[in-house]
Amino acid sequence: MERSGFTSTAGAIVAVITPFLCSLIAVALANMPVSILGGLVPPPLFALMPVYFWCLVRPDLMPPALAFAIGILEDLFSGGPPGVWAAAFVAAYAVVDRQRDTFAGLSGIGAILGFAAAMLVASITAYIIVSIYYGLLPPIAPLVVEIAVSVLFYVPAAIALGFLHRRLVGPQRSEI
Amino acid sequence: MANGTWKIARGKGSAQLPLAIVAVLAIVLVLLGKAQSTLFDRIRAYFSDAAAPALEWVRAPLNGASRWLSNVDDIFVVYEENLRLKDENARLRQWQNAALALDERLKRYQLLLNAVPDPSLNSVTARVIGRATRPFLDTMILDAGKQDGIKPGEAVVDPRGMIGRIFLTGQHTAWVILLTDLNSHIPVTIAPGNVQAIMAGDNTPTPVLETLASNTALKEGDQVTTSGDGGLLPPGLPVGVLVADGDKFRVALLADPSTSEDVRILDFKQPPEQPPAASPGDFPATAAGLKPHAPAEIPPSSPSEADVAPAPAKPVAAAAGTASQSTVPGASATINAPAATPQRGGDAFGNSGDNDDTGD
Repeated sequence: MERSGFTSTAGAIVAVITPFLCSLIAVALANMPVSILGGLVPPPLFALMPVYFWCLVRPDLMPPALAFAIGILEDLFSGGPPGVWAAAFVAAYAVVDRQRDTFAGLSGIGAILGFAAAMLVASITAYIIVSIYYGLLPPIAPLVVEIAVSVLFYVPAAIALGFLHRRLVGPQRSEI
Repeated sequence: MANGTWKIARGKGSAQLPLAIVAVLAIVLVLLGKAQSTLFDRIRAYFSDAAAPALEWVRAPLNGASRWLSNVDDIFVVYEENLRLKDENARLRQWQNAALALDERLKRYQLLLNAVPDPSLNSVTARVIGRATRPFLDTMILDAGKQDGIKPGEAVVDPRGMIGRIFLTGQHTAWVILLTDLNSHIPVTIAPGNVQAIMAGDNTPTPVLETLASNTALKEGDQVTTSGDGGLLPPGLPVGVLVADGDKFRVALLADPSTSEDVRILDFKQPPEQPPAASPGDFPATAAGLKPHAPAEIPPSSPSEADVAPAPAKPVAAAAGTASQSTVPGASATINAPAATPQRGGDAFGNSGDNDDTGD
């Protein structure tokens, strides 16, 4: 029984830290020294993927504060103005949180479009903040490319996150 | 993707209060970052210092894989590439000979004119351990920081040309703002014509030219280099070439930050070098194959020149043994000081033998 209790506690800890660790890896991936796409296009906004994923399937493991913290990490590592992605992630989180029933009911292409909507909200928020911050309108084309690349990469990312969720977090769902 | 299969652990909208709190925090953070950017920069530098080993660890295998993949591609074009490189090598050898000859001639002219040469640029070579090419920014992280003498504002170049400037330094890492970044504005010179302008990044691969003087005639292919105005950057660093973009001109950069792995950080804030002291081989008479004046025939005209005298003749210095070791530093300092003054330089052509050993 003790072993079972220990396993349960360890599992709970793993379940709690998995979203954060995945987000941390996503931030590192997006800011790693070698460009996956050869520098031709901006790297995908990997950090938003775990935020969106767990905001839908286990919001208790991805509270707004964690989304905010991941945004700050993205700001820190990407070198941009402070708070831009933190605010953008919170905005995307707010939209997904309010429309969770709609988003959670999506599957297949719909799920990808759901992420695209979240990505659009985050990008528009970031664009507005940067425009105000610098007092000029940055070009939109790179932003559009980033949205497209991120949505494209969400397909394998969602499969990987789903796998991790089933293996590491999923068993905890029975305790909800 | 199959989001519909997951159970939802929390009811819709139950995070309203925490969301409102973090939304306010985010706004405060943006405002704080605008008002007190140094605070956030310090935290960023601390984080990049802490993350440097991890970034390095991630970089190594990815670089290996990337290199391997590019090598696989190269196999199919190796013959054509070999021919092209041979041809390029032959042309570069010719250019090298021309450059060496011109360099020698330039040194000789500088000596004749007693011109102060350009300040030497100390440099630190660093590796790129992180980069962020995003819609709103273009930065990279280097594995050299304050402990290597890196300071904000210094120019970063790769073998092809300028990449950007240092804008933040940690102990072991430094952040580079690339020329393509929204915040990058550098003074440039466009040749031919010596046209001065400001090159501004706009997060596209080709920065735009701003603040051009009116009635300037530019054309595609003109060379763009740093002008050195303001004393922030060294003059003459290659930047790129002009390309037309409607009625405006943009700059196609020579360097490609996305493929740069090792870069140099130039320290421009050095005191100007003293002009090189004369050596017999540099004088027109010697160069023309004529016998130079014998220094022994000209007696020292003042005690200060007599002080300079012990340094020159190698046999004397060698024979002096320990004495030469103690006098050479002082002697070189004495010699360098008058060499910078014009009157001394003018006299040096006659009394060149005095300081010929310190010419290099």
